[in-house]
Amino acid sequence: MPGGIAITGLGALSALGRDTAELTAGLRLGRDGIGPLTLFAHQGRCATAAEAAHVPAGPWGLPRATVRRLSRPDRLAIAAAAEACTQAGLDADARAAAAVLAGATTGGMLETEEAYRRWRAGETRRLRTSRVLGTSLASSGAAISQALGIFGPQETMATACSSSALAIARAGDLVRRGVVPAAVAVGTDALCRLTFAGFDALQALDPERCRPFDRHRRGLTLGEGAAALVVEDADHARARGAEVRALLLGWGTATDAHHPTAPRPDGEGAMAALRAALAMAGLPADAVDYVNAHGTGTPQNDAVEMSVLRAVLGTRLARVPVSSSKSQFGHTLGAAGALEAVVTVLALTHGILPPTLGVREPDEAWADVDVVAEPGRRAALATAITSSYGFGGHNVTLVLGRGDAR
Amino acid sequence: MSERAPVGVTGIGVVSPFGWEPDAFWTGLVSGASALRPAERFSTLAPGRLVGEVPARAVGEIARSSVGRRMDWASQMAVGACRAALADAGLDAAALPAERTSLALGSAYGNLQETATFLDRLFTRGSGNPLVFPNLVFNAPLAYASIELGIRGETAMFSMLEASGEVAIGWGIDAVASGRAALCLAGGVDELGMVLHRVLEEGRRLSPGVPRPFDRHADGMAAGEGAAVLVLERVADARARGARVYATVSAVPAFAVPAPVHGWSSDAVALRAGLAASLADSPAVFVSACGDLPRDRLEARVFAAGVRPVVVTAIRGTVGEFGAAGALAAAAAARAVSEGVLPPTLGIATPLGGLDVVTGAARSMPLRGGLVPGLARGGICHPLKFEAT
Repeated sequence: MPGGIAITGLGALSALGRDTAELTAGLRLGRDGIGPLTLFAHQGRCATAAEAAHVPAGPWGLPRATVRRLSRPDRLAIAAAAEACTQAGLDADARAAAAVLAGATTGGMLETEEAYRRWRAGETRRLRTSRVLGTSLASSGAAISQALGIFGPQETMATACSSSALAIARAGDLVRRGVVPAAVAVGTDALCRLTFAGFDALQALDPERCRPFDRHRRGLTLGEGAAALVVEDADHARARGAEVRALLLGWGTATDAHHPTAPRPDGEGAMAALRAALAMAGLPADAVDYVNAHGTGTPQNDAVEMSVLRAVLGTRLARVPVSSSKSQFGHTLGAAGALEAVVTVLALTHGILPPTLGVREPDEAWADVDVVAEPGRRAALATAITSSYGFGGHNVTLVLGRGDAR
Repeated sequence: MSERAPVGVTGIGVVSPFGWEPDAFWTGLVSGASALRPAERFSTLAPGRLVGEVPARAVGEIARSSVGRRMDWASQMAVGACRAALADAGLDAAALPAERTSLALGSAYGNLQETATFLDRLFTRGSGNPLVFPNLVFNAPLAYASIELGIRGETAMFSMLEASGEVAIGWGIDAVASGRAALCLAGGVDELGMVLHRVLEEGRRLSPGVPRPFDRHADGMAAGEGAAVLVLERVADARARGARVYATVSAVPAFAVPAPVHGWSSDAVALRAGLAASLADSPAVFVSACGDLPRDRLEARVFAAGVRPVVVTAIRGTVGEFGAAGALAAAAAARAVSEGVLPPTLGIATPLGGLDVVTGAARSMPLRGGLVPGLARGGICHPLKFEAT
């Protein structure tokens, strides 16, 4: 496609704030969004989380009865998508022709859990349809479509922690093939007992806070949030006078076919995704200026990820700053791919290198790697990659470029 | 736009309330018999309530890998359908080009029953079961199927309520048509358990007797479960290896119309307009009517015979309603177009007006094509078009 694929609007709600302005400030200052878990009681090893700073009430022009039924991730998602559409300056006609591609992993599980708990405890007689089936994974996409009048193709995908990275790749694919001139790719997930207790039972949570790439890292910290990107034909964007904030230069996806929860030790699936993304972008490893890593902080993930980066970027790795934004706003699961893509775009546009918080002693296996230390720093960047690896072995890498790169 | 090659269906695998045997689903549909019977795996509030339950099977008959032996029921059905589809296509999983094979599955609610079991323990003992949790991750069927079949290309799991299967198949068509994958297994799976059934029962969504899609006096649906997977290949590739092509399949541009976020649209005019081009060359429509009146009335208005004759049939009254039932409708459409036979819609006594519904017995007619409209709550429409080769 001649002009490329543009990112023209961003939206984000996370532990670092209620919009992209607050997120940008949080990245610039190296703020820590991790704190005590307050959303529900939990009796396990871990008591920390990165809770969303703000969950909007709406009503986004929706009927009151509908708004009452919206789940926490629905609300976060609509607000993120609305911010992205406003920032992109998409008018009603442009929105009507656009697609919605959403990524999520648990939908309204928090609300479902509460309905189920009350029913089990005999506090309610009926297991309510609206609270169990009305909070499905698909409802965030439908809510965005109806609230913002986006009536093109709509898909909600769930490949665990790579869900919304996959949604961005799908948005790029639809735009590249000319199916739609623009697409809103969004990722959303809220904290819930199921994932919290599940990850804790797997001993995948750090009892204090995650320390990605630290020698003594013990696990991840769960977060929540939503992020949205308007992915648009760059010529279409320029023709309507929109600012091209960044370019989606390439993407790659590949599967481990190895284990339901553990990554392939040889990292071959993740490598294939990264190689495919760079190949689509037509870029050599030397062109990569920054890596926004998956960086969960589990012993296994970080080791495999670093070996993947080393295998594909080679000697370049020693000269590329790497950070894990999960150290600032936690692992937001279905939202992580989109939220970290937004961070990567902000890094490119503002020249910010966000820090990896919590690193006290880097693992000696990657002592040569420039893991960006607190409080972060500034650098002019042209091209960056961000990777997401989902449970079940679903790997996605995106290549992003600064808007004026072409 | 990049070049797109025509895509064909070369294999069909269905695990349905008619059973696991390769031809059980199609033979059952065409026979005009119902697959519904009183629930056996769980008790219903109203005794004897009819459901579409898939017969139990030992996990060892489905799983080959050691991790696969832990897989949940929905994953078992999905993997079973994948294996059946590959066998039907004359393909051996071990001989697939791993990096060039894709997989796409859709599910509306995933593993709700084991989620409830996990929460039961969490609420009583304060801790989650680490052995169960991996099965509760929404994409567990996708993960298990990729592991069991060694698929390492692009894979994706979708959740789009009633259109979950259609969306996954549409994505698979794109993967193959664009050349990103040499082959894609695409379909959907949804399971039925006590919790889901209880919710539907207490929400008064279920018929006390037999579901009657498109009947004026329809009083609810029957809940079902199952999985269907299609093998998608470029028609040229299939012909080159001497494979049978049931039908070609294309994803009609999907769209949405104004609707309540959680309910059915009432905008039949907008839906009809969006589907007009595909209806022009699809004389048969595999609708999602299931005895749920708001949905059935909407579809009756969208697919009422107009200038062109349109024949409709609904399988959800035969096998029960579930999110991925659209994948089973797609499997039926591919077979119907291939054989020129439309299976009947069961349970109709007094049909809604203006429709030509196949009732009583299967109808033989030459079929140029068939449409699976892929309607879902929230105004979603994800059509798939099948054409005779």
